[in-house]
Amino acid sequence: MPTQNLVETHNLTKQYGKVCCVNTLNMMVPPGAIYGFLGPNGAGKSTTLKMILGLVRPTKGNITLFDTPVNEQNRMKLLAQTGSLIESPSYYGHLTGEENLRIIQTLKGCSEKDIDEVLKIVRLNEARGKLVNHYSLGMKQRLGLAAALLGFPKLLILDEPTNGLDPAGIQEMRELICSLPQAYGMTILLSSHLLSEIDQMADHVGIIRKGVLVYQDTLESLHAHSKEQIALRVSHTKVALDLLRQDGIEATQEDGYLLFPMVDDTCVANLCRHLVAQNISLYRIEKREKSLEDIFLSLTGKENSL
Amino acid sequence: MSTLQMEFRKIKRKWIGLTMCALIGVQFAWLLWAGSRPNETERLYGWIEMLYSLPLVSVIMMPTIMAVLASRLADVEHKGNTYKLLKTLRRPGALYHAKVVCGGLFILAVSSAQFLFIIALGYARGYAGHPEWKHYGAAFFLNLACCLSLYLLQLLLSMLFFNQMVPLAAGLGGSMLGLVLMYIKMYSFLPWGGFLSSAQVTMDWNPETRVIHFYYREYSSVELCALAMIFVWILVFYGAGRILFARKES
Repeated sequence: MPTQNLVETHNLTKQYGKVCCVNTLNMMVPPGAIYGFLGPNGAGKSTTLKMILGLVRPTKGNITLFDTPVNEQNRMKLLAQTGSLIESPSYYGHLTGEENLRIIQTLKGCSEKDIDEVLKIVRLNEARGKLVNHYSLGMKQRLGLAAALLGFPKLLILDEPTNGLDPAGIQEMRELICSLPQAYGMTILLSSHLLSEIDQMADHVGIIRKGVLVYQDTLESLHAHSKEQIALRVSHTKVALDLLRQDGIEATQEDGYLLFPMVDDTCVANLCRHLVAQNISLYRIEKREKSLEDIFLSLTGKENSL
Repeated sequence: MSTLQMEFRKIKRKWIGLTMCALIGVQFAWLLWAGSRPNETERLYGWIEMLYSLPLVSVIMMPTIMAVLASRLADVEHKGNTYKLLKTLRRPGALYHAKVVCGGLFILAVSSAQFLFIIALGYARGYAGHPEWKHYGAAFFLNLACCLSLYLLQLLLSMLFFNQMVPLAAGLGGSMLGLVLMYIKMYSFLPWGGFLSSAQVTMDWNPETRVIHFYYREYSSVELCALAMIFVWILVFYGAGRILFARKES
């Protein structure tokens, strides 16, 4: 069954004994997107990405890459169009950066020219002849990204790529990743436990909590949840709701409150007058603002660390 | 082919060849020391005696050498955490096979050096006649097979355990076992006992005349079974390694 998404998982589940790390996860990564896969530590992000890459066998469910259901026969062929950086970078410390990339380039079967290009992209050109054991953590992380970029794959899977980097390194890595879809037409599936990071980089977001995907949409739509609202507590909620709707205000009812999008002060005053005129008592008028952090915490649970 | 080529690129600056030379050098030193000044009788039986000594040296030295070789080849992957990247580029079976072939080529080089050395040593000491090529060829082939079975066992352990002390301890344990259990028949059925079951020469020692008589032995059916076990171990360790490596999640 052909789909529009570059990556799709259907009821993807991973269970270790009685512990369910990933639970019936349905992820959809559209082409050209930077998909931020967000969740607290231990939520199941890495396990999900490893299952997509075939490094961990799913207990249940299936994965579709590039419109093709992944199986043992076509897995390597599909992964040939994919680059990955999972957790820490993989490297041979006793070899130089260039020698490391040459090994990956040969195994990927891509052009030798790609090595020069990816080294330029990650700004490791000058350190190409240096042993990787002598690289800083940031340089190793950039080498990992360079290895993932070799062959300029259609899909890049990056698991917490800014882990362990200093603030300057984090910013540099973010800029680099953000530039890739436009420059090379790549789709990026990126995991992080930092909301601010996903907010700065992604255009689509999936939030996972205890192995369950609790939210998946565009980042814009997540931001929409964080907009300011007016909350009214009145004596006759149902009647008041109908009156507001008659006045063309899209209001909703939640926990005994009427909620509607922020309007100017005059409009609020008119509404109050109108409700009182209809013998509805007004108990409270509140301005509510839900930050992105509040939304994230309400989705992932406050007990989980960020 | 490119996977195998990469195996050799990966071990650049790891000096595995040099390590092998150093370890095999110890064997050479031992053989040089043993019978360094042969008399006429010893020269007469020199070639056959060499075939008697070689499995004894191998049973003690080779388990350790194979453990070191397998550990060096597997450790480059563990240190850089590379399996999770390599398994997205090649099937685990192909990666495992490349490690087997790479190590196999080292074993071929080590075994060849070993045999070339003892032949050169025999001529240098002036042993009578020439080596019996049929027996020397068989010894070379069986020695190679024994080394391969031990290498496959060690590779399996080295690839599965991050801490290389586990496989190295197994290799050293195999050598120790060789020293302790060398003369127990059942030992020949163990992977480390292959060198003994493959020995073609045995000896009689007369305590009165103190004369040692070396001769080519006739294999009993039990000894033939022990010999066949070498090849069974090769198949078992190769199959187990390939399956376990493929199943291991990164």
